[in-house]
Amino acid sequence: MKRLLQILLGIMAVSLAMFSPATAETKGTVYYLVPTLLDEFQTGSVSALEMFLKQTGYEMKTLNADNKTEVQQSQMNDVIALKPSAIILAAVDFNALKPSIEAARAAGIPVAEFDRQITSTPSDFTSVAGTVEIGHIASDHAIALLKNKYGEVKGKILQVLGDPGDPYTLDIQKGFEERMKAFPDVKIISVPAMQWEASNAGTIVSDQMLANPDIDLIFLHAAHLSVAAAASLESAGKKPGEVMMMSSNGAPVGLDLIRKGWLNVEVEQPLYAQAAAVAMFMDKIVGKQEIKPGEYDVLGLKSVLTIEPWGPNIKIPGAAITKENVDDPSFWGNLKPPAVAVKSVE
Amino acid sequence: MTSQTRKILEFVLDNLVWFMLAFVLAVFSALIPNYFQTGIFTNIIEASSVLGVMSIGLALVIITGHMDLSVESVAALSAMAVGILFCSAGIGIGIKLSPEWLMVPVSLLVACAIGALIGFFNGFLVVKLKMSAFIITLASFIWVRGIVLAISGGRSAQDLAPAIRWFAIERLLGIPLSAWIAIACFLLFSVMMAKTPFGRHLVMIGGNETATFRAGIPVNRNLILAFVMAGAIAGLAGWLLAIRTSGATANLGVGLLFNAFAAVVIGGISLKGGVGGLPGVYAGVLLLSSINTAINLMGLPANYTQVIHGLLVLAAVLLDMFKQRLRARLA
Repeated sequence: MKRLLQILLGIMAVSLAMFSPATAETKGTVYYLVPTLLDEFQTGSVSALEMFLKQTGYEMKTLNADNKTEVQQSQMNDVIALKPSAIILAAVDFNALKPSIEAARAAGIPVAEFDRQITSTPSDFTSVAGTVEIGHIASDHAIALLKNKYGEVKGKILQVLGDPGDPYTLDIQKGFEERMKAFPDVKIISVPAMQWEASNAGTIVSDQMLANPDIDLIFLHAAHLSVAAAASLESAGKKPGEVMMMSSNGAPVGLDLIRKGWLNVEVEQPLYAQAAAVAMFMDKIVGKQEIKPGEYDVLGLKSVLTIEPWGPNIKIPGAAITKENVDDPSFWGNLKPPAVAVKSVE
Repeated sequence: MTSQTRKILEFVLDNLVWFMLAFVLAVFSALIPNYFQTGIFTNIIEASSVLGVMSIGLALVIITGHMDLSVESVAALSAMAVGILFCSAGIGIGIKLSPEWLMVPVSLLVACAIGALIGFFNGFLVVKLKMSAFIITLASFIWVRGIVLAISGGRSAQDLAPAIRWFAIERLLGIPLSAWIAIACFLLFSVMMAKTPFGRHLVMIGGNETATFRAGIPVNRNLILAFVMAGAIAGLAGWLLAIRTSGATANLGVGLLFNAFAAVVIGGISLKGGVGGLPGVYAGVLLLSSINTAINLMGLPANYTQVIHGLLVLAAVLLDMFKQRLRARLA
């Protein structure tokens, strides 16, 4: 027993040593609170932020909340106690983290919002593509696809949401449906894929294609859901392109499905540019310097920075990926990080 | 009460979950537009395949009076392993074997072996170190999902080799082969539980572990075997999951565990062990799948679907409790 304990303690000591890298010269440590790592966009955001922050002189540490609000709140409390240079927050819940943001800022730690905009309390910086805007871009393409098919905007759309408890998917739905309202001849059937689980999306598509065989277009709120949807269509004997499909977030699987002809449009969240913007402004965020509104070039994308009631807000335009531009290396789904290093904004 | 009436009543109680299923299908067919059609019933059977197979393994362990919370994560890990090895896009490395059909047994073996190994680990700790199955398998539920995340880096594998995907596309009597695999599993394991000494020993262990040991039955060996089988069957469920979605994502199968528990309980298996049979579990799985399909077709506001799902499961379990009380009165 004593020997077993010694071995266990030895293993723990070696593990701790392995997980404590030597401290390098940096401008400071920034904590990134990521909502989940069960999603390609989120795992991509960790590596992108880490890479760009390193280029501007910061070390980044990541904490994963496993999509649990209370876990992220505890993480915020823990990180505040560590007094980092800044916190980058991609909130699990857009509103529940408000007290934690206020506590961090009261403790003198700047907070930058990444990807998920929080408007209920001021932050030091916000970098978003805009979830409602993703819905708008998707609706523009849905309108074009239906018009191309019928000569007018009419038909039936199956909208496969993510988990109904996630404000991200509800915002996309809001953006999509508020634009589609103008077209009363388009019927939208919305069904949630619980917990963003792919096989749930596959089942929804199988069921709906039987109940509503006249569905013209399927819009899925994440690329990984469209993989299962395509598998269900294939199992039902459909060929690529027979039923039009769109999805959002621009993950690599979505781009592969465009190449194979299953997906017509993938609405990209500009992951690299969103992450680069945070790194470009990190000196100003940490130094609590004034951030000036205006147009900024973020990895070649013209992005507008405005001063909103919730603080400086940079909006990076999302892009629609189709067969024509799918190989553009600037799309994060092609997994080719920009070769040019980002520089801090003077 | 005449013996004839008693016999009829006992038959109804023995198969109550099947009657519940028939009732629910009839109500949904009457009330939900487009529900009553062969394609929808085929979908229900097809959508039940993964949950059904997973429920078999869980039921085997619950019958022995223990618990296995790791089955969902084991299925996810097996699916991810198959996805990484045999998918050609995403993080898949696209291994090709010649002849192509060899990929079927090899992928199946990989999936089941991973599951069996984790099952052995769980069983060994539960039996040899006398640790609580709840805690051990809860830990496995967490660390195995962690391995899925670690090996995938949060990314997906897609485009499963056509030789393996074939099981989701080809149909026999209108039902995909993957669903036939689930049906075959239920038949096989139902026979094992009812007709073989091993199956009967598992029920005896769940009923009274000490008495079974004193009767000279190798309780520890059988318990470890039950965990190994639950793991291997969860591996098979993962294999079916990968086939169904043509690949694997890091969150694949999330939420299946609680549905599997619901199916097992609705199917008449006591969480205390020693009571229940697998045919009822299959009916429970079909019942849950019918409810899911109904929710999918009703087009309800997204926020209410979980509430309805939960209430329907609760209703099914309450009905099952009513059945058990009625049976106690009859006895």
